[in-house]
Amino acid sequence: MELSAAWAIAKKDILIYYLKPNIIVSGALFPLFMFLAFAVGRPEAPSVMIPGLIAITILFSASSIEPVSIPIERRMKTFDRLISAPISLHAVVFGESMSGFLYSLGIAFVPLIAGIVLFGTPILHIAPLVLGLILTSFCFATMGTLFAAYPTESPGDIMSMLNLVRLPLIFVSGVFIPLNQIPAVGRFITYLSPLTYGNDLIQAAYAGTTSFSPLVDIAMLLIFILLFQFAANLLYRKFNE
Amino acid sequence: MFAIEALSLSKQFGHLQALSHVDFTVSEGETFGFLGPNGAGKTTTIRILTGITTPTEGTARIFGKDIVRETIAARKQIGIVHETSNIYTDLTAWQNLMFTAELYHVGKAEREKRGTELLELFGLSERRDDHTKGFSKGMKRRLTLAMGLINNPRLLFLDEPTSGLDVQSNLIIRDVIRDLNEQGVTVFLTTHNIEEANLACDRVAIINRGRIAAIDSPERLKKTIQSVQSVEVAFDAPQPVLVEDLEQIPTVSEVIKQGDKFRLITEDPPTVIDGVMAFAAARRARVISITTLGPSLEDVFIRLTGLDIRTKGVKTVD
Repeated sequence: MELSAAWAIAKKDILIYYLKPNIIVSGALFPLFMFLAFAVGRPEAPSVMIPGLIAITILFSASSIEPVSIPIERRMKTFDRLISAPISLHAVVFGESMSGFLYSLGIAFVPLIAGIVLFGTPILHIAPLVLGLILTSFCFATMGTLFAAYPTESPGDIMSMLNLVRLPLIFVSGVFIPLNQIPAVGRFITYLSPLTYGNDLIQAAYAGTTSFSPLVDIAMLLIFILLFQFAANLLYRKFNE
Repeated sequence: MFAIEALSLSKQFGHLQALSHVDFTVSEGETFGFLGPNGAGKTTTIRILTGITTPTEGTARIFGKDIVRETIAARKQIGIVHETSNIYTDLTAWQNLMFTAELYHVGKAEREKRGTELLELFGLSERRDDHTKGFSKGMKRRLTLAMGLINNPRLLFLDEPTSGLDVQSNLIIRDVIRDLNEQGVTVFLTTHNIEEANLACDRVAIINRGRIAAIDSPERLKKTIQSVQSVEVAFDAPQPVLVEDLEQIPTVSEVIKQGDKFRLITEDPPTVIDGVMAFAAARRARVISITTLGPSLEDVFIRLTGLDIRTKGVKTVD
């Protein structure tokens, strides 16, 4: 029952929001330009750069749907439909996150396929790639839903807060700067970033080696998903008061 | 079993006491009006009764289910028509209905049957597959009501259902409310349209400043303020008739100009009628129409909310 209602919420978001211009810009084009700005001219091989591009694509695309859709729904009062329906807040949060998750999976295939077709980048291990795509996408989709709990009717308010977190994450999570080259002071933040573990897991598929064990990456991503899910549930309850 | 039991509901937002020990019950099959000025606590009460927000004190039960502890079970019994026509304008009428049905766990065959019936009932069948962005205000309101009924609720919350609508939509919605009531559906109606509440409701509650000021049937409420009777008169006069002139007529306490008519508030209509006829003769004016009126539900509302007067015989709650 709860899952089917959550799926109904996700389907509704897919129909309404996937092709909204601000979501295409923030979820698909923004990560591409971010990557080009930092990657063009660097000597690394495509097999090193492609996992990073996939990771930041997921970070931006997965967390872009709810920060736009939920404030709009607050303004249109359609969000009241979701929070007054006979379903739990967990199902609402899960359903909202599912739309970001599916959007991100679709967008992540662009750099993935581009890597194979344009650069012939080999994928050494499929399992960490699949798990990395799924868990990282869901983790950041839930993070987007968490930020969207802030009670505003303006997507810009949430995007501003979200970018304060998303942009620094790129630099402390081993996407552009390898983890072993990050100063000890910044290492602590590295461990607190879910992107660190998502990027590490995707790197495992391409490089065959990881900074952490894939099991640690998987466990940490699952912990972040649960943390974001429960925090989102609490905040939506608090702000509905 | 009561459809709604509100037991000493209170809600505090910081220092603001939005609701203070609100008590009422609504019987199954009853149409219950909930009236009050803006900011009186109507929306807060609905948000508590539908489980969106929790009371600071007190409890509420929907068909015996505690709305805080058994929220989902309670919500399964209700349909909600929010004040704003909160439909998804990027979806079609049909997609809006099916989405709401899925949220309310209505099975596929049942939701398609019910959706078709509701579109027919509300005169929207021909626009079924159109995006609702282009719908008129009345069509959006009718679709909102259809969405509130998709789960065949036993209790329907209607928040300002006919506010600012065209005549056709108004009539359709009023007919549907009457039919629902005949089918035994309990209706909880909030409205600014006091005449609508007067015509549709078995009982009304008037809430003011977070407290219930009175609960009773519209007719019993009106009887409590018999002092607010009036004489409505229209003149054909060579010189304009002024409010100040009519205020001089004995026993008239207030004169209200309503279009081409004057409403003279009084405790003694016969004396006022005599005074009006004498006034007309002195001014060489003709009385085109003259009617005596009893107190309206609006008079009760104004007394209880605007003037804050407690009247005898009404079940008041301090």
